Amino acid sequence: MLTKTEAVNGAAIKKAIEGRDGKTLSGFYSDDALLRVIDRNNPPSKPREVRGRAAISTFWDDICSRAMTHKVETTITQGDGLAFTQACAYPDGTKVFCAAVLELKDGRIARQTVVQAWDE
Amino acid sequence: MVDDKKSSGRAEKHVRPIETRYARSGDVRIAYQVVGHGSFDLVFVPGFISNLDLHWEDEGYSRLLKRLSAFSRLILFDKRGTGLSDRVDTHHLPNLETRMDDVRAVMDAVGSGRAALLGASEGSPMAMLFAATYPERTRALILYGGYAHFHKWVMPADRLNAFIETAETSWGTGATLSNFAPGRVDDSHFVQWWARFERLSASPTAAAALARMNAGIDVRGILPTISASTLLIHRRNDIRVDPEASRFLVRNIPNARLVEIPGRDHPVWTGDVDRVADLIEEFLTGEPVVAETERVLAALLVTRIYDTARLGDRMWDERSLRFQETWRHIVIRHGGCHLDIHGETMIARFDGPARAIRCAATLREAAQEIGIASAQGAHVGEIELRGPPTGLTARIASQLASHAERGDILASRLIADLSPGSGLHFVDAGRIALDELDEPLALVRAMSEQHLEPACPPKIRASEPAVLTARECEVVSLIADGKSNAAIAAELRLSEHTVKRHVANILFKLDLPSRAAAAAFSARHAGPDGP
Repeated sequence: MLTKTEAVNGAAIKKAIEGRDGKTLSGFYSDDALLRVIDRNNPPSKPREVRGRAAISTFWDDICSRAMTHKVETTITQGDGLAFTQACAYPDGTKVFCAAVLELKDGRIARQTVVQAWDE
Repeated sequence: MVDDKKSSGRAEKHVRPIETRYARSGDVRIAYQVVGHGSFDLVFVPGFISNLDLHWEDEGYSRLLKRLSAFSRLILFDKRGTGLSDRVDTHHLPNLETRMDDVRAVMDAVGSGRAALLGASEGSPMAMLFAATYPERTRALILYGGYAHFHKWVMPADRLNAFIETAETSWGTGATLSNFAPGRVDDSHFVQWWARFERLSASPTAAAALARMNAGIDVRGILPTISASTLLIHRRNDIRVDPEASRFLVRNIPNARLVEIPGRDHPVWTGDVDRVADLIEEFLTGEPVVAETERVLAALLVTRIYDTARLGDRMWDERSLRFQETWRHIVIRHGGCHLDIHGETMIARFDGPARAIRCAATLREAAQEIGIASAQGAHVGEIELRGPPTGLTARIASQLASHAERGDILASRLIADLSPGSGLHFVDAGRIALDELDEPLALVRAMSEQHLEPACPPKIRASEPAVLTARECEVVSLIADGKSNAAIAAELRLSEHTVKRHVANILFKLDLPSRAAAAAFSARHAGPDGP
């Protein structure tokens, strides 16, 4: 359990993602959070599930270790629900677009579903 | 279903070809490709030689790359001096450190801050050196068929000289294959691919120089400094690299685990590729790989060829090879998929039983043309899509092929039951008792292809049998027995051509559309004196 963490809101998420700050991002999740990813390789009936803050930290460390650009474009907050879109680009110009829906519990992300698509 | 096909067709249309790009490593350009969009990066460090373009043309290689790129962003490259990367002065080959630095250059070019490294064979020492030099950029390490010291675990100096001599004298012919994958030397298709792989991956001089350079590999001293979590995979009977090599690695790399798997062929893209991919996926994602439910209903066709004409070994080998090549083309043309060639037995899979039988008929003709005997068996049932054809359906199809006589296409009754309206003609062929089945299996024999009866019955009633000559009466009665032209020709001691003429005359005289109709006519008019 982190003793000092930033409040989870649209602006904080935008800053951490665009700054490729994996450590801050990992701190936004509750210990038993569930992150689900749905994309071409992980269809809705069998999404990729990343469980727990340790695994989610690895996930964000992997993403943030890449020299790619991320731009969080739209953020919507409604009670304990939060949603945002994210446009990313690799150095070779390949683009990835994600839409994420989050459920907050006690100020931390308890559940997140990411749907993403990419150039191919 | 229709919608699915449409959408997948659309998707295929817009898939970009895999782009090959070039990273700069010092003055040298390193060719690389990036495939997949997984959340972490995986760099594949190839072995002795490689060619980025050619890998995708081999079934096993592309299967491996597709599996790996399904859960990672897979980064592929050709080492300097090989494949699509810049050639280098073969008299001043770069050392292991320089080649390792090529990995870093490629990672920088694709924006990969850290990656898991998969080193295969000679790629392993490079991957180990990278992991020891750049721990912060190494997410994890996988070493397949790896080693730390060439002479100790790959080959001693005298065998290396013999290998280099073979490489120098017959490079580009595929002659080195037996050193790497003896299990594939009878697969002429793969031998051809391997020969191209040699030619397009390195020149003869470069190959010999690379082999000499690899002989100098000794990274034993750096093993204790590797901190990345490491998975070692080695085939128990690996022909190229002694499994003791990985047992040494697991004892000396601090955070390593070794999995030994069955197999003899050395290249990572030969043998049971899925087993290797499963292990890597589980290690990197932390999730056990759920076996894909890939059991499907399919028709299997087993084609057996044999020599009845005592051709002699040499001529038989030539003809059997020619038939195997023909078999590949014919199976593809009928929408089938090659499953296995084992000596003189070939197995193909089809979506529908009618396709399998039509293919069998074409194969029978091809065998006749080549001058060899064929016997075939077909059965329909559930089969496993992955791996070699095993299971009950495959065993039954094989037993039917063994039971079939020369020129026969013997199928289970189920094949005929699932082919109504196909125009195929089957005759009853009794039953066969198989150990694995409680009940004897009902069999049919596939006859020459028939055309469908016309939608409207012919206006003129069939004429009386009296108009047929005595010989034609014999022929029509044999047609009714379900015999092929070849069989009728043999029985009546006529040429097949003459039988064809008789059949054409019979159909013309009786104004019948097909052999099936002639058979029905014969049955209607059968009497003590025949039709």
